Amino acid sequence: MSMSQRVFITGLGIITSIGKNADENLQSLVTGKYGFGSLEVLETVHRDSLSACEIKLEDRALSEQAGVPLHEGFTRTSLLGLISLQEAIQSAGLSPAEVRTSGLISATTTGGIREYETHYYELMDPKLRGDFVRFTDTATSGEHCERMADHVGIKKYLGTISTACSSSANSLMHGAQLIKNNKLDRVICGGTEALSKFTLNGFNALMILDKQHCRPFDSTRSGLNLGEGAAFLVLESEAEVNRKKRTPIAELKGYGNANDAFHQTASSPDGAGAFSAMQLALSSAQLQPEDIDYVNAHGTATENNDLSEGLGMKRLFGPDIPYFSSTKPYTGHTLAAAGSIEAVYCLMAIKHAVIWPNLNYKNMMPELGIQPVTTLRQEMKLKYVLSNSFGFGGNTSSLLLASV
Amino acid sequence: MEEKATYFINGVGIITPQKTFDREVFLSEISQYDKNILTCIAPDFKAYINPIQMRRLSRMLRIGLSAATICLRNSKITMPDGIITATGYGFLDETAKFLKELLEQGEKQLTPTYFMQGTSNALAGLVALTIKCMGYNNTYASKGVGFENALTDTMMQLNENASLNFLIGAYDEAAEIQYNASIRASHFKTEFINNLSLFDTNTKGSIQGEGSAFFMLSGKSSASTLCIMSDMDVVYKPDGRELQDALDNFLATNSLDAEHIDVIINGVSGDVEHDAVTNTLIRSRFENTAQTRFKHLCGEYTTATSFALWLGTSILSRQQVPDIVKVQHWNQPDKLRTILIVNQYMSKSFTFILLKEFVETQ
Repeated sequence: MSMSQRVFITGLGIITSIGKNADENLQSLVTGKYGFGSLEVLETVHRDSLSACEIKLEDRALSEQAGVPLHEGFTRTSLLGLISLQEAIQSAGLSPAEVRTSGLISATTTGGIREYETHYYELMDPKLRGDFVRFTDTATSGEHCERMADHVGIKKYLGTISTACSSSANSLMHGAQLIKNNKLDRVICGGTEALSKFTLNGFNALMILDKQHCRPFDSTRSGLNLGEGAAFLVLESEAEVNRKKRTPIAELKGYGNANDAFHQTASSPDGAGAFSAMQLALSSAQLQPEDIDYVNAHGTATENNDLSEGLGMKRLFGPDIPYFSSTKPYTGHTLAAAGSIEAVYCLMAIKHAVIWPNLNYKNMMPELGIQPVTTLRQEMKLKYVLSNSFGFGGNTSSLLLASV
Repeated sequence: MEEKATYFINGVGIITPQKTFDREVFLSEISQYDKNILTCIAPDFKAYINPIQMRRLSRMLRIGLSAATICLRNSKITMPDGIITATGYGFLDETAKFLKELLEQGEKQLTPTYFMQGTSNALAGLVALTIKCMGYNNTYASKGVGFENALTDTMMQLNENASLNFLIGAYDEAAEIQYNASIRASHFKTEFINNLSLFDTNTKGSIQGEGSAFFMLSGKSSASTLCIMSDMDVVYKPDGRELQDALDNFLATNSLDAEHIDVIINGVSGDVEHDAVTNTLIRSRFENTAQTRFKHLCGEYTTATSFALWLGTSILSRQQVPDIVKVQHWNQPDKLRTILIVNQYMSKSFTFILLKEFVETQ
């Protein structure tokens, strides 16, 4: 079978705590505006103690932006996904017929658990009736994907990936594979994640949340900040791009997926999984480490991730580590959505020839001796960029994006 | 014209509400349930999991890891090239435990164990960790099509490199909170029935099932090859016409007529409305073909296609059809070479899988 079909990115959409569309996200990245602050929308006892990167829009406003009625049972995860999915479709200029014949690969860790936890006691009493029944199935990951697909009219291929914090990087990989295998001409891939009491308390119980603004790759880092958001990218086959004679945004040139096989929730101390994912991405694109111009690191600012990822990068790149930064201080860790959100940031970096700064970095980690980009670097011609996403369960993924 | 790739099922391990973990029996000892909830008949986990590791694992992680281990042993593969799991509802019992504690304790003094074991990729990660497999690792959580996504992914990996061995598995658990929340929406029957009379009912809803099944797939046959998986297709929310076209296209793509199919595995779930759709579809092309059903044995769950795949694989490798799966007026086929699985989940997604007998050539 011919695997030579190239895969291009022709559209994107994004919503995060630093902007409700691509333009707003770009402006915030350029001006150094971040989303970290007190929780105002999520109802939790931790409002005064745990800050996060929250989208300061109530579900009512999100429903309006998504163009769906408020009481139809769309979860916040579905709404965020739908907003960015529709922006991606628009940005690629897809016709309704093209949307119908697209695939949709989404990613989430907990789907609509936010609504499920809100209505838990009602849902558990089978005798009760009310609006809450619309959230009957929202404890599943796949529910949101069906809701989004049904709303925009996608039927051809659906999939939901849930590999913790590497989920949406894997949804882009699966989409690219479907195109390379001639199963689809076009597939929209990404991920979406809303903040919930469930995840906030889960990460709090794991004691990896920093109450202060997170500091990736800094020796004083002490944990991650949670965030919420969604991003979707339209992938199209080379044949489809040629047929339409449109200039794509970039090429999804390679990808790697591996497992650290070290610990259920921690990364290996030597960064074996990180190294392996990046190396696989390079080899699938037939590139060498020195070809890489920038790495958008997973960089969660947990003690464990940044050390493991940093060692993985050092092992792969040797003494000449390319420019790298983590954009987590802007958006927080958006879990399953992080991979697609950061892929969008890489595409913006390529397009505008900039490298996003790793905010809050001051002190070098002595174990690493490497330094991320700390100020906005301009006029940086970027040809090949890596975007890393790692997660619980040892899942490590890396995407290789190329300018066109 | 590209030659169609062939995928070999080189091993299986499965734990379900029947005694399927034991290769010595093939649905000859049948378990009955009368509360509409079917739960796994588990083996002695100590045979598959070391005791130190076992203490920390939830029930479903034990079941999943044991099924994976049985599959690895049966296929004589110690290190697969990739691990893919699939689920619809994930580890909902562990998710519920964390959720309940969170609500009852007002978000205070929580321990992370249930949270960690509630993530959908916990099993794929656990299997990788246990056998130190650093290869490809993925988890699909797509309601009724998760296992189908995993099969699609695997088939694409094997198209690129036929010599790879992929361990792919499914799991879903009969979680109490899913039952409580969903019975209102007629996902499950409101009257209690005996599972073996599932297909004698005339009401909405099915019975809640669960299970975990792992398969070793490769583009190459091995000494342990059980059967060939030729093709798979899925349709999502088709109307009547689209559903018929999907089946016809599937048959045409594989150059098949009705007489080429020896046995149909029908994924009816005992829900009067959903079953009518699937039965009509099957009758439209397979008036006289021998039919089997299985959801009275395992219940309905989002990855029940994995039970059907095990059943088809076992029928072909053993050249035997257990009486308990035969539909009334069974016409004994003169050979057992080709099986078509037609599964459905809530009439929302439909799956076609084509299996063929593996005949060793010199």
